[in-house]
Amino acid sequence: MAVLAHEVRSGVPRWLIRHETLLAAILVVALAILGLFNERFLTIDNLLNQGRLMTEVGLLALPMTFIIITGGIDLSVGSIVGLCAIMLGYSWKNLGFPLPLAIAVAIGVGGVAGFVNGLLITRVRVPPLIMTIATLALYRGLAEGISQARSVRNYPEWFFFTGQGEWLGVPVQLWILLVGIIVTGIALDRTTFGRTLYAIGNNETAARFSGLPVDRAKLVVYTLSGLAAGLSAWVLVSRVTTTRSDMGSGYELDVIAAVVLGGTSIFGGVGTIWGTVVGLVMIQLLKNGLALTGVKGDATIIVIGAVLIASTLIASSLHGRREVAG
Amino acid sequence: MKQSMKHRMMKTAALVILGVAMAGGSAVAADKWDGGDDLPTNPLACDAGPAAAAAAKPYDGGQTTGAPDKVGKPITLVDVPKLIGIGYFNATSKGMQDAAKEIGNVKVSTDGPTEAKIDEQIKFIDNYITRGVDGILFAANDPVAIAPVLKKALSKGIHVVGYDANSQPDARQWFINQAQFNGIAKAMVDAMAKEVGEDKGVAIVTSTFTTPNQARWIAEMSAYAAKCHPKLKWLETVEAQEDNVLSFNQATTLINKYGDKLSGLFGMTSVATPASAEAVTKAGLCGKLGVVGLATPNAMKPYVNAGCVKSVVLWNPVDLGYAATYVIRAVVDGKLKPGATSVDAGKLGKLNVINGSEILLGSPFIFTKDNIKDFDF
Repeated sequence: MAVLAHEVRSGVPRWLIRHETLLAAILVVALAILGLFNERFLTIDNLLNQGRLMTEVGLLALPMTFIIITGGIDLSVGSIVGLCAIMLGYSWKNLGFPLPLAIAVAIGVGGVAGFVNGLLITRVRVPPLIMTIATLALYRGLAEGISQARSVRNYPEWFFFTGQGEWLGVPVQLWILLVGIIVTGIALDRTTFGRTLYAIGNNETAARFSGLPVDRAKLVVYTLSGLAAGLSAWVLVSRVTTTRSDMGSGYELDVIAAVVLGGTSIFGGVGTIWGTVVGLVMIQLLKNGLALTGVKGDATIIVIGAVLIASTLIASSLHGRREVAG
Repeated sequence: MKQSMKHRMMKTAALVILGVAMAGGSAVAADKWDGGDDLPTNPLACDAGPAAAAAAKPYDGGQTTGAPDKVGKPITLVDVPKLIGIGYFNATSKGMQDAAKEIGNVKVSTDGPTEAKIDEQIKFIDNYITRGVDGILFAANDPVAIAPVLKKALSKGIHVVGYDANSQPDARQWFINQAQFNGIAKAMVDAMAKEVGEDKGVAIVTSTFTTPNQARWIAEMSAYAAKCHPKLKWLETVEAQEDNVLSFNQATTLINKYGDKLSGLFGMTSVATPASAEAVTKAGLCGKLGVVGLATPNAMKPYVNAGCVKSVVLWNPVDLGYAATYVIRAVVDGKLKPGATSVDAGKLGKLNVINGSEILLGSPFIFTKDNIKDFDF
């Protein structure tokens, strides 16, 4: 067995043929090509601006990686963003809370929404797909009902710092995203919690019988997803200076695309934060680069779709190779 | 055995609660909001008099910083409407191309999202700012949300002129208003009252409650009706987001929900009106349920000729795009400065400046069976 494995690997270091590295290589090549076509693409100004724009989806993609690794899914993240955005505006304007408290309320509501998801998924064993499709509609309906479809405007100047300001030349929300990436990356890679998630994704029954706190871990990841949605809502409202009840609609697909592109298997058990980051950056920069080159409007979506298919093919061929080697 | 039964019961109970909560949530959502915005209204006089001249306001538009001097030189413009792919914005785009050909040194291209989403529109404008255009023409999906990215364009020396749907005044230099808001409101409400009667129930199909122009029109319509047609009953306003299928479904839902109590439907977008007319036709209520709305004549020709729709209110969107291009060329050439009272717009002649930084295209036009065949957009 070991001899066979040695022959197959033929001297190429293991980390080089990982999905994430291949993806990063494709990303570098794509960026170089797009940079050749348009000299404004690879400027610091543009790249930081793209970083600013991808934070909202990025913050959601981090806990989504956790959830998909456990074999679940969360389709309600976009609606939770909408609900939190509305709660931010509603509690500030209609309930009269001071703005910092309103922000805390918004993030808290997100956490509760995620917690409800997790509770019903773990206690009542509703499949995550069905549960989160239901809450996708429920939370969006709540957002529209609470807001009465009015938008809340005229926030004070300091509020826009999160969404539009800069610190040391880098957009503020990008700092928040970087902190999130580091924290979740360490949590997934280096802690027992992270390893529990991989165990759950690989074989949930075995994990349960091994004494791992499966239900608690799942509850935590869905709550984290809700909290991240609250944070994302804060950044979004700060960036566009208004709240609308249709905010965040469609985010779930962008988030899942980034996570799956980054090498996380939809069946669970495989995935890294690093891969998600590469997937996220690739989608954002590809869309931007293509638009700058002059590709009209939604034709960029065709390219994203093609890239997703290509990455799935790479992932499945690598998976096949891994099976032979093991 | 008992454990799995208990689990199954709990699962069913949870799903039932979820279902009820969803229904409850959507019931709360379908509440009394009438779709108007909160700005002050100014209803016109009830009789058929011309609109009174609006009081002059000081200029309240934004300014560019560091715009390069392109007087008389060729400029590249981009037009980012609410969405692309509908007849209305195809018409405005055509007007812009006509103007560009006439002026000679203007290149304008239309690009935008395929759904009327403000987030996508912001990203389009952002990309064009990075690409470096000389001017941006826009029709906003949300007046406040679009302001930061437009201000960014102004700060980079890019000229910004809006048409059809305004943004906050300081985020753009000028705004081409197709017709006075209260004029459109008067035309719509008068046409509906004439068709269905005074003491009837009416409902509105609009885009979203935060789209600036629709919200403005609805607010003015309520104010005008309260003044001149007080017995008109406003049943409900529904959102249909410039989507064909959604507009049709919403209209059908209204017809089924209110039955005989509903006598007229207002279509507030060029997508909602034909869809509402289709819903009325499919329900077999042609002629019994009035449909009045804003729409392009081509979309409404079948319904007007069949007698389902008696009057369609609009302005000429081709002229709107045409005027917008002339205005932005005048701004770049320094011929239109803050404080001006009128601007020269090619074949449209002189257009007046109202409300500080708005340029009025003209009065609303009513298409009926007699004149609709003369138009092709």
